[in-house]
Amino acid sequence: MKDNWRNNIRKKPKSFLIFLSFLLLIVVVYSATIGPVDIPFRRVLAIILSETPFVGRWFPTYEGTERTIVVNLRLPRILLGVIVGSSLAVSGTSMQGVFKNPLASPFILGVSAGGGMGAAVGIYIGISYYLLPLFAFVTALGTVILVFALGRVRGKTDIATLLLAGLAMNFLMSGLTNYIRYISPPEKEFHLRILAFMFGTLNGSIWREAIISLPIMLIGISLVFAYSKDLNLFQMGEESAMQLGVEVERTKLIQLFTSSLLAATMVAFTGVIGFVGLMMPHAARLVVGPEHKKLIPTSALFGGIFLVICDSIARTMGEIPVGIVTVLLGSPFFIYLLVRNRGETGW
Amino acid sequence: MVELDVDSLVTGYHDKKILKDITFEVNKGDFLGIIGPNGSGKSTLIRALTKVITPWNGCVKYDKKNIENMSRNEIAKKVSVVPQDTFINFPFTVRDVVLMGRSPYLGRFENPDKKDIKVAKEAMEVTNTLRFEDRSVRKLSGGELQRVVLARALTQKPELLLLDEATSQLDIRHKKEVMDTLKEKNEKENLGIISVHHNLNLAARYCKKILLLDKGKKHAYGDPEEVLTNSHLRAVYGVEAEVHEHPKDGSLYVSPMDKKIDTEKGEKTVHVVCGGDSTGKLLKNLVEMGYQVTAGVLNVMDSDLEKADFLDIEVVTEAPFSSITHESYEKNLELIKKADAVVVTDFPVGEGNIGNLEAVKEGVTRETDLIFVDGDNIGERDFTERNRGTKLYDKISREMDFRSVDSTEEIKRLL
Repeated sequence: MKDNWRNNIRKKPKSFLIFLSFLLLIVVVYSATIGPVDIPFRRVLAIILSETPFVGRWFPTYEGTERTIVVNLRLPRILLGVIVGSSLAVSGTSMQGVFKNPLASPFILGVSAGGGMGAAVGIYIGISYYLLPLFAFVTALGTVILVFALGRVRGKTDIATLLLAGLAMNFLMSGLTNYIRYISPPEKEFHLRILAFMFGTLNGSIWREAIISLPIMLIGISLVFAYSKDLNLFQMGEESAMQLGVEVERTKLIQLFTSSLLAATMVAFTGVIGFVGLMMPHAARLVVGPEHKKLIPTSALFGGIFLVICDSIARTMGEIPVGIVTVLLGSPFFIYLLVRNRGETGW
Repeated sequence: MVELDVDSLVTGYHDKKILKDITFEVNKGDFLGIIGPNGSGKSTLIRALTKVITPWNGCVKYDKKNIENMSRNEIAKKVSVVPQDTFINFPFTVRDVVLMGRSPYLGRFENPDKKDIKVAKEAMEVTNTLRFEDRSVRKLSGGELQRVVLARALTQKPELLLLDEATSQLDIRHKKEVMDTLKEKNEKENLGIISVHHNLNLAARYCKKILLLDKGKKHAYGDPEEVLTNSHLRAVYGVEAEVHEHPKDGSLYVSPMDKKIDTEKGEKTVHVVCGGDSTGKLLKNLVEMGYQVTAGVLNVMDSDLEKADFLDIEVVTEAPFSSITHESYEKNLELIKKADAVVVTDFPVGEGNIGNLEAVKEGVTRETDLIFVDGDNIGERDFTERNRGTKLYDKISREMDFRSVDSTEEIKRLL
């Protein structure tokens, strides 16, 4: 009985994805109505349509503050939210697939903490705002490479060692970030910026960030998706996957590189937004099942929708960092999933 | 067509050499059993044959092509593997898992088509898994999952099938079903099979050739008669074993030598007439209570025998799936006559083992404490012709004194 809706969804995965895409669009438009200035849904929709390339010329052009607020302030932030949300979700899906472990996520591998540390250093030495993402990206990727180097035992990637290496780097990077905060000058502005990075925020996003991260998201997600079949076979165990024709080591490296790239890029723009990469794959798996061809696009859409909703909440709560909202919403949801599905669907 | 050549293969893990100079070949329609004690390199050999580990020296060739020059997909179309055990963390359906066997034949974005699904269905049918194809693999028992994995391996449409103790988790019925299925595929479709066995009797019964490994080296290789000899088994396993010929089909079977009963202790002996997994915890309980326990007649591969072996109980054994012969009847009778108490469990009675009841009737004396488990319902498990089992029981109950219990659990109180 309980599983009826789930079976229906699993029988028509394409219709479900189309439904989710529409839901995402509605959430995006609705989110653009929220803020200090209330703008009605219909007006927002009209403004967005008039600004959309090709379609725009069929709609009257809007001018004035409302247009500025929607187009220059809210839309880049919302779109970056969609991009970051889906990238983190797919990054988590890929990691959980490769590690055959439902607890793997970019956060656990130290990607997020590494990026956060880089940003803190950047802020401390006072580099330009535009270089900050690059700094975060380099340290995030550097952390991942270090974790992989530590996790490689005699030419093979050992999962347990890798997870422990991630944990160790996590502690190290968070420790360094805290150290930088401690020694940095006591100006309030300074601490707020490092804090914002540590908690993760979409506040102050600009079009350029969305435009730079969009292709990385598209390439990353496509690359993960291209290996759906191999990720399914991975779940049979690495040895069996090899015997079923998967080039296991190569697949593992490509997947880990891609998922780290996705997470590191996003951390660079927004700081550490926790729980999306861990939680979205779970939620998607509960609905469409563990098959990666369905799981990856579903997690991507879930991630986008989830982060935009969280950011809308963050904005209405007096502009708190969205990372706080995802953790506050994410952890109880995660515990709920744990308790409800203990031993039943086995994640 | 598959022609596996293993030539002076040396390999291992890291710096630990496991296999030392192994040479053999497998052709179309061969059925090779690999046996050997724990740590002799059986599973390592399976890994080397599928390029999970690479040779340090020597080579593995399929159709004269070196495995090191073959892609994994290429290998997967030739060879499939049923591993010892499988653990799947996510709730894939049985159908999903079986269909994964088609993946070497599918492109990156290609979905299985009707033909692939047909192949998978056939494999599920012969492994008796089709009826739960919609279930999550997380909800299957160990034996069920093992059959699903076998179905996946068959769906791969290999020319050579590798089994790494694949039937060790199955009960006796499924063990036989699976092995018979494989035998049929081997004989009718010329499927080459290499199967690693812990159970020497399975190897003896089904394999045409046997490779006996000892500490990574080839100890013996050839027909079962040449390999399964007392001297080879003593040298490799360090046990004394009798090798018999099956009275019906002539295949060999091995049973560890009977141990002499230590009568000096003057303990009471209990003989248990059982079979077909009917003893429950009885044997263990009796041993723990300090009795000298004997049992019979049990077929090799019966799970009651496995329990008895585990407890070091003296057992009269019979070839797998064979009727009680005159010889084992006499041995059983001997033990019954010697016993202070005889317990007859509620085993299913058939033409093959009615000799057990006959021995009870013949051997039990006035001094013997005879106990029947659920004797009055013998009709429900009597599969003999013209209910000979039930009639025999009726005769025993008219002529002899005995006590009756409903289950093996109650015997603990009685003795």
